[in-house]
Amino acid sequence: MALTREMLLEYFADKARGDLSEVQDSTELFSSGLIDSFAMVDLLMFLEKYTGSKLGPEDINLENLDTIERILNFVSARGGG
Amino acid sequence: MAGADSPGRGIVVVGSPRSGTTLLRRILDAHSQIACPPETYLLSAAARFLHEETFAQGLRIGVTFGLGFAGFEEDEVLSRLREFAFAFLDEHAQKQGKPRWAEKTAFDAFHLDAIRRVCEGHVHFVCIQRHGLDVAVSLADLVDKTGGYVEELHDYVARYPEPLEAFARAWIDTSTKVADLAASGGRVTDLRYEDLVRKPEQTVRSLLEFVGEQWEDGLLERAVETTGQVGFGDWKTYAKSAIDDSSVDRWKRLPSPVIARLAALCNPTLERLGYEKVAADAESDEDARRRYELGLMLNRMKGKK
Repeated sequence: MALTREMLLEYFADKARGDLSEVQDSTELFSSGLIDSFAMVDLLMFLEKYTGSKLGPEDINLENLDTIERILNFVSARGGG
Repeated sequence: MAGADSPGRGIVVVGSPRSGTTLLRRILDAHSQIACPPETYLLSAAARFLHEETFAQGLRIGVTFGLGFAGFEEDEVLSRLREFAFAFLDEHAQKQGKPRWAEKTAFDAFHLDAIRRVCEGHVHFVCIQRHGLDVAVSLADLVDKTGGYVEELHDYVARYPEPLEAFARAWIDTSTKVADLAASGGRVTDLRYEDLVRKPEQTVRSLLEFVGEQWEDGLLERAVETTGQVGFGDWKTYAKSAIDDSSVDRWKRLPSPVIARLAALCNPTLERLGYEKVAADAESDEDARRRYELGLMLNRMKGKK
């Protein structure tokens, strides 16, 4: 099943520090502080299990992971979306 | 004012530390008929006065046994101690121009057995409970702010090297004592912090009905509008200008393995108190190692920002 925006928001609902109800696809999550390091590591674990492939240092950057849109594109490019 | 031995004379708030006792204190103190000073430590001091030990051969030592040899019955000792402690609260209420007093000191919950000996039958007890994982997180905040541990936490911190586990175990012990009191069938009511912040008027109306006081319009607004008297108590509640539920479920932001460990400890007590069990599976060694590796990679990303 493709990873969707709704699935990601539901995943973050219990993990995020702030209210994500107004988050747009382009809202910065990690660099803005909406998502803290603990939640981000949880997300990385989740993405590895979802895509079935391990992430490397080259994958873990803001270009891939800082917004809903970027996460969806990143997962899609890895064959998980 | 109610008579000296009337249960209507005083209100004693008990709950695990970081369970909303200071918010409750401010609400009670904002009522026109109730004076609730900042933390006095009167009742925990009274509890220490009653400290006793039992030697291996069964001999019990302590003030009530010692005075017993001098001809003073235990009831007499407890009565004098009660009057000594309550006199300060009576006088404080009088100075505030209010007929009744309430008392809350956050760490009283660690001394609840002795406090019950002093107070039971002579006060209204108000028990407040909060989700144990939120209490543990909030105690960690407290230690971070103050830079140290109060005496009541020393044993826990000495026994359990991980602070959140130590705080969770302190919550289990204190909330169990508070729940035992709430279930005792005496002049006791109980409420939850989560209800107090999510449904404050409904919760406080019920509380006031229990202690025999009327609801007052504007009570909750008055409670948070002013800082009231300066004294010991929760600093965080003074930063708020309205009652809100922003401190509920903060535990959900803990790392998953930490939640799993705390859940295993706290779930039986959470269930007893009517909270949902925390669903969490213990992490495998492999996942724990991978989490660590990903954390390192994330730190590297942060360094490049």
